[in-house]
Amino acid sequence: MIVTVKTLRDQRRALIGWAIGMAAVVLLYTSLYPSIRSNADTLNRYMRTLPEAVQNMIGGSGDITSSTGYLRSEIFSTMGPLLLLILAIGAGARAIAGEEEHGTLDLLLANPIRRRTVVLQKFWAVIASTSGIGLVLFLAIAVLGPAFGLDLGVVDLAATVVSAVALAVAFGSVALAVGCWRGRRAVAIAASTSLAVATYLLNVLAPSVEGLGPYRVLSPFYHYIEHDPLRNGFSVFHLSVLVAIALVALGLALLGFERRDLAS
Amino acid sequence: MKTDAVVVTEHLTKSYGATRGIVDLSMRIETGEVFGFLGPNGAGKTTTIRTLLDFIRPTSGRASVLGLDTRADSVEIHRSVGYLPGEFAPYRHMTGHEYLGFFAALRGGIDRELVDVLAERLESDLSAKIASLSHGNRQKLGLIQAFMHRPTLLILDEPTQGLDPIMQQRFQSLVLDARAAGQTVFLSSHDLPEVERVCDRVGIIREGRLINVEDVGSLKARAVRMLEIHFTSPVPADAFSGLPGVRDVEVHGDVMRCTVGGAMDPLVKAAARFEVVDLSSHEPSLEDIFLTFYGSDAEDGEGAT
Repeated sequence: MIVTVKTLRDQRRALIGWAIGMAAVVLLYTSLYPSIRSNADTLNRYMRTLPEAVQNMIGGSGDITSSTGYLRSEIFSTMGPLLLLILAIGAGARAIAGEEEHGTLDLLLANPIRRRTVVLQKFWAVIASTSGIGLVLFLAIAVLGPAFGLDLGVVDLAATVVSAVALAVAFGSVALAVGCWRGRRAVAIAASTSLAVATYLLNVLAPSVEGLGPYRVLSPFYHYIEHDPLRNGFSVFHLSVLVAIALVALGLALLGFERRDLAS
Repeated sequence: MKTDAVVVTEHLTKSYGATRGIVDLSMRIETGEVFGFLGPNGAGKTTTIRTLLDFIRPTSGRASVLGLDTRADSVEIHRSVGYLPGEFAPYRHMTGHEYLGFFAALRGGIDRELVDVLAERLESDLSAKIASLSHGNRQKLGLIQAFMHRPTLLILDEPTQGLDPIMQQRFQSLVLDARAAGQTVFLSSHDLPEVERVCDRVGIIREGRLINVEDVGSLKARAVRMLEIHFTSPVPADAFSGLPGVRDVEVHGDVMRCTVGGAMDPLVKAAARFEVVDLSSHEPSLEDIFLTFYGSDAEDGEGAT
């Protein structure tokens, strides 16, 4: 765990910033809820005039003025997962490729530690930092939500946050894997971000674009939110899909890093 | 394979396209010796070293360190090796203490006292943030992390880069102490005088090929110096050409330039017949050494073992 601890300690200042940012986002959106609720009818009528794809982007065609509908559209369809994704992708890309670009990887691996151990310990660090900020997201909503009149179940909220963390870790693992194969941080970020954007679009466009429908299940974003965990709680199946994506990416990361010549 | 060899490479080859890499490199480094790896930048020194540490994998051939295969047993090898890379890149946000503590933890703990002794000898401030250190002070930290776990083998890639002359001397005494303690040292350099001072044997590498391995003694005996003598008045070239060991005599008015191999005495005696204003001697460049030692066809030379 030495490398994991060191990696997290290196990030400690940045993580404090992420935590404050995440809490601020929650504060902003939860504090707007009372005024949204008082204009519920107008807003819901307006929502129904939007194109279907746009409705999907902001959380389906459900009632966005209910507690769960509001949280889904204002936090869990936008800033919440976005911040977690940026955090996890950055950490995944830095893990190996960042050290390689800085020239610090040689000396790290000159210690009696296997390459795969380094990758695994970096993977734990990605999970830990993303989970930590996920915990802030959970706590902020759990505390601030009721204060602004949002009515929600703690278990359902936990299920949604866990789902968001799993989504972010999946893409962070893709960034880790690309970094392990290519050794370039920018390439790792670009590849995993492109994949995230493409699969996000697939999920929101699939219901309204002919022919895309059957492929929607391929999008990690579908497995993240479409079962509506804020209402329905944990889904072992959908969570497993996200975990499986992360594990496959981890496997590829280990494979690629083990075989490759390291840049000096 | 003899058991007392610490490093053995057998036909080690790493191809990167046309020019870089190493070609069919076979050599042995024996227990307890200080082995110098001498060659110009880009000759393949770093490639060889990074192959021994399993950071890069050979295209063909094999290598062993301490009797262990570099591909299969790299973790065991790393346990017994202290390594300083050619471009030492520490974690800049850490202090020296934090940095060494991290590596010590990865090695399962080390002798704190030795770190203090090394830091004192090299006059290294371990409480400062690494980012704030000069290149030379960072290099000292690199040396400390290489020596701090009393490795059986030290692999040092251009270790004195950026060190001032006093610290270079301290480094040399560290290496000699390591040898006295039974440690083996493999260091690369493009600086002939440094290699002459600390090494027992020298492998000379050029364009990826090991072109010779010899004792430092015999290397010194064949050492060539470039001499420039200024006289008060013009001198005749034939007063110098033809002297034993003296070659490439050039006279321009009152300045005479030549190269001298072996004994200096005949040249000094000959110069003493005229009035000397100034005399300077230069270490030859590595390329000059290669040309003098091995001729221009050195790249076709046999890899020595």
